Amino acid sequence: MVDTTKNLKMYTTHGTKSAKPVQPNIAAKLISKAKRPLLVVASDVLDEEILKRAISIAKKSKVPVAATGNAIKRFVNEDVNAKYINIHSLGAYLGDTKWTGLDGEGHYDLIIVLAHKKYYINQVLSGLKNFTDLKTLSIDKHYLQNATMSFGNLSAELHLEALDELIENL
Amino acid sequence: MSEINTGSFSIEELENVQITIGSIVGAIEKKMEAEGEMGPTPKPGIIGLREWDYKLLNRYEPVYTPMCDQCCYCTFGTCDLTGNKEGACGINMEAHQAREFLLRVITGAAAHSAHGRHLLHHLIETHGPDYPIDVGPSNLKTPIIQTVLGYQPKTIGELDTAIEYVEEQLTQLLATIHMGQEGAAIDFESKAMHGGMLDLVGMELSDVAQISCLEMPKSDQEAPFVEVGMGCIDSTKPVLLCIGHNIAAVTHIIDYMDEHGLTDKIELAGLCCTAHDISRYKAADGKKTKAKIVGPLAKELKFIRSGIPDIIVVDEQCVRADVLKEARKLSIPVIATNEKIMYGLPERSGDSVDDIISDLVSEKEPGVLLLDYDKVGELAPRLVLEMSVIRKERGITAIPTDEEFKELTDRCIHCLACELACPTNLSISDAMTAASEGDLSPFETLHDNCVGCGRCEQECPKDIPVVNVIEKAAQRVIREEKGLVRVGRGQISDPEIREEGVNLVLGTTPGVIAMVGCSNYPGGTKDLYTIADEMLKRNYIVLMSGCTAMDLGLHKDDEGKTLYEQYPARFVKGNLINVGSCVSNAHIAATTIKVAAIFAQRNVNGNFEEIADYVLNRVGAVGLAWGAYSQKAASIGTGCNRLGIPVIVGPHGSKYRRALIGKPYDTEKWSVYDARNGEKMPIAPMPEFLLTTADSVEEVMPMMAKNCMRPTDNNMGRMIKLTHYIELSQKYLGIIPDDWHTFVRSETDLPLAKREDLLKILETEHGWEIDWKKKKILSGPSMKMDVSAQPTNVKRLCKEA
Repeated sequence: MVDTTKNLKMYTTHGTKSAKPVQPNIAAKLISKAKRPLLVVASDVLDEEILKRAISIAKKSKVPVAATGNAIKRFVNEDVNAKYINIHSLGAYLGDTKWTGLDGEGHYDLIIVLAHKKYYINQVLSGLKNFTDLKTLSIDKHYLQNATMSFGNLSAELHLEALDELIENL
Repeated sequence: MSEINTGSFSIEELENVQITIGSIVGAIEKKMEAEGEMGPTPKPGIIGLREWDYKLLNRYEPVYTPMCDQCCYCTFGTCDLTGNKEGACGINMEAHQAREFLLRVITGAAAHSAHGRHLLHHLIETHGPDYPIDVGPSNLKTPIIQTVLGYQPKTIGELDTAIEYVEEQLTQLLATIHMGQEGAAIDFESKAMHGGMLDLVGMELSDVAQISCLEMPKSDQEAPFVEVGMGCIDSTKPVLLCIGHNIAAVTHIIDYMDEHGLTDKIELAGLCCTAHDISRYKAADGKKTKAKIVGPLAKELKFIRSGIPDIIVVDEQCVRADVLKEARKLSIPVIATNEKIMYGLPERSGDSVDDIISDLVSEKEPGVLLLDYDKVGELAPRLVLEMSVIRKERGITAIPTDEEFKELTDRCIHCLACELACPTNLSISDAMTAASEGDLSPFETLHDNCVGCGRCEQECPKDIPVVNVIEKAAQRVIREEKGLVRVGRGQISDPEIREEGVNLVLGTTPGVIAMVGCSNYPGGTKDLYTIADEMLKRNYIVLMSGCTAMDLGLHKDDEGKTLYEQYPARFVKGNLINVGSCVSNAHIAATTIKVAAIFAQRNVNGNFEEIADYVLNRVGAVGLAWGAYSQKAASIGTGCNRLGIPVIVGPHGSKYRRALIGKPYDTEKWSVYDARNGEKMPIAPMPEFLLTTADSVEEVMPMMAKNCMRPTDNNMGRMIKLTHYIELSQKYLGIIPDDWHTFVRSETDLPLAKREDLLKILETEHGWEIDWKKKKILSGPSMKMDVSAQPTNVKRLCKEA
């Protein structure tokens, strides 16, 4: 079992409320139990190994995908419910009760983030932390302290193992 | 009774008496009256344009992404504001974030304006207050000053009124940062907009003054080329490095070198915007430039560590705080020439140049503060000649030898502390492993992405000087790092606007992309080339400035040509223009004012709201600050926003902690008045935001194209813009964008080559009614095409009002 809760060192932002470290099996449970989860992926999904796992998560848990940055081009030919959206716009819309989601079916209750630039997504998560009641879960390789729950800092190899473990538990 | 004017005059009866009148009470007000039609807001105070700001902020809502959960502004706290809680003074997180953004904006505005104040007064001293303003073949010489203040200065002395206004207003804005005052986020936002507008004034007067007095190119599309890159510096000569933004002191160095036949004997190199302005100095009428550009801030630490500079002259802004410390390690004397950066150095303006040289050569002092520019002019060239000999004999550099390099890369324990500390999380550990095994390619790639901040070194438990390791590994790449930049040409001239204005407003020129700002790019300097190359090929007008303009010149096509060599520099479609340094950004904003004034004959004097409304609805321009990091970039962007120009920043821009993003799904927000009758008319979401971020080059391409669309595009213009939006989305994201149909008003808006396919999509996916015989849209679009419509957000500008 990969321990994804060890290295919680933070550099770019700080605050009084930081993400709870989470293990892969717990993260899997959170995703499985969510009624309206959204998997938000970004440009690091261009990495084949990460892409494979993002697709597995989306398929196994039937979670829709918000493909930010240029991630959408990797999902075009995949059997996954993915749509392009700019991450900063998504952060703004998620806090708006008038927004009905990427598919028009209503608000989300869990935002899962993967394959992002650490410094970028952490800012977006900060907006959600401070101005919405949304739960956010980071399964990225960096500890994202502005999420509600997050993996700790992981090496690339351990991160892939952790994602595999998460997928197994979905 | 005769009028007294400003300037100097003698009295005949009295010998040796000359009276100088600096300013006359009420003179500017009188001048404002004489300018003719005056808008409603000359010299607006904080509240002057609040209604306009509210209009913008209603559609483009502030999105806050705090960096810290706390407010630490006063000793009432520290207060935890997480979850939008209120602190001890009653301010909540939202308002605190808006206040922080305001602080960022006025810091930037103050930096430009204080630069302007210093330079302007220096030039008034050297050239006299009556020196005429001359920026090229334009009647509208200071569009921003006219629009904001309501008068047109004719001499550099008359610019003083503008700087006084900016300073007074900035003080009022700074006061509102104090605890226990403003509590509404929206009013902090309006104040930030005000600060951004003041910044445009401060920048304009700075650049107009130096263009006029320092023989810089004046709207010159044939401005000469200047060499750029670390690899272009000839280190066999004594190397005199100038860093900063204010060339007041450096002009004296250049003049001394000219007068003493030293110009070809000393390598004069610049870092950051001082480099731009040195290259512009006396480069009017195609004259050869006097210096070379090393690069932007990202190159500062790397170039100093190379040991190549023999002396360093600093002025102000964007100069690393550790220049003296770094230079001292390598026996490079530092001459500070501006009160903003003094590094704790002794002030030596009262001493002889010989004494100062003696103390610096002997390293008795690591540097000096010298505010007498005649002495700086003499000291720097003489000192660099001496230091060059001494330093070459000692072979001083921080770059490791081959043996040291091997030892350093072997020393790495791959703890990843450097990667966590790195602002962009570069893969330093893997590059260390590869380098240890003899493969330098990962470090060579990493070099261009590294912003040279040195945070990695602060964290390394093994004390590896990571920046030096990167620089050593990338020596081959650095040697090849050389290119050309077209010297900053200043303003876009009135005749150019006369020629191109109609194409911009009707959309047949697809848009203006203004690539500005600093060097914190997410994907290295190549990003800039990729973006500019694509947009130029598509006939957009690409304007460049500042660090971005330098880095664009580093990359070449297969024939070895930079984009500056490939594309002409006239303000027409498919041209590439470098306006100049940081303060030259004013000319980019001013171009949109000129379109309103010259093409549409709108009054500009004291008429900011109407001009901004015109720009927002008609001028398809987008700012792209891909590597923005500074407070100045925040203020420039905010000034553009108030003027109706949307701005995209790179992903690091999320750390500005505030964006202005519209919600396309909220249809109530997307309507304007038709000025012909005051009726409301729906528009598509254009521009969709005023300030936002993008993740990558691939994402930003279609974003730029989309946000160049404006309600006044004619069918041909909309078709061209929509074609680019769809094509760029397909090329870089692999999809036809979901929202393309929202920009279609009639079948003639559709891209010709795809018209039939798109009509099918409109019918099947969006339920639009199509007459297939005539290939016409019968129903579906939410707005009509009306070439005569006069879109405006300002009710008072409608006829019925």
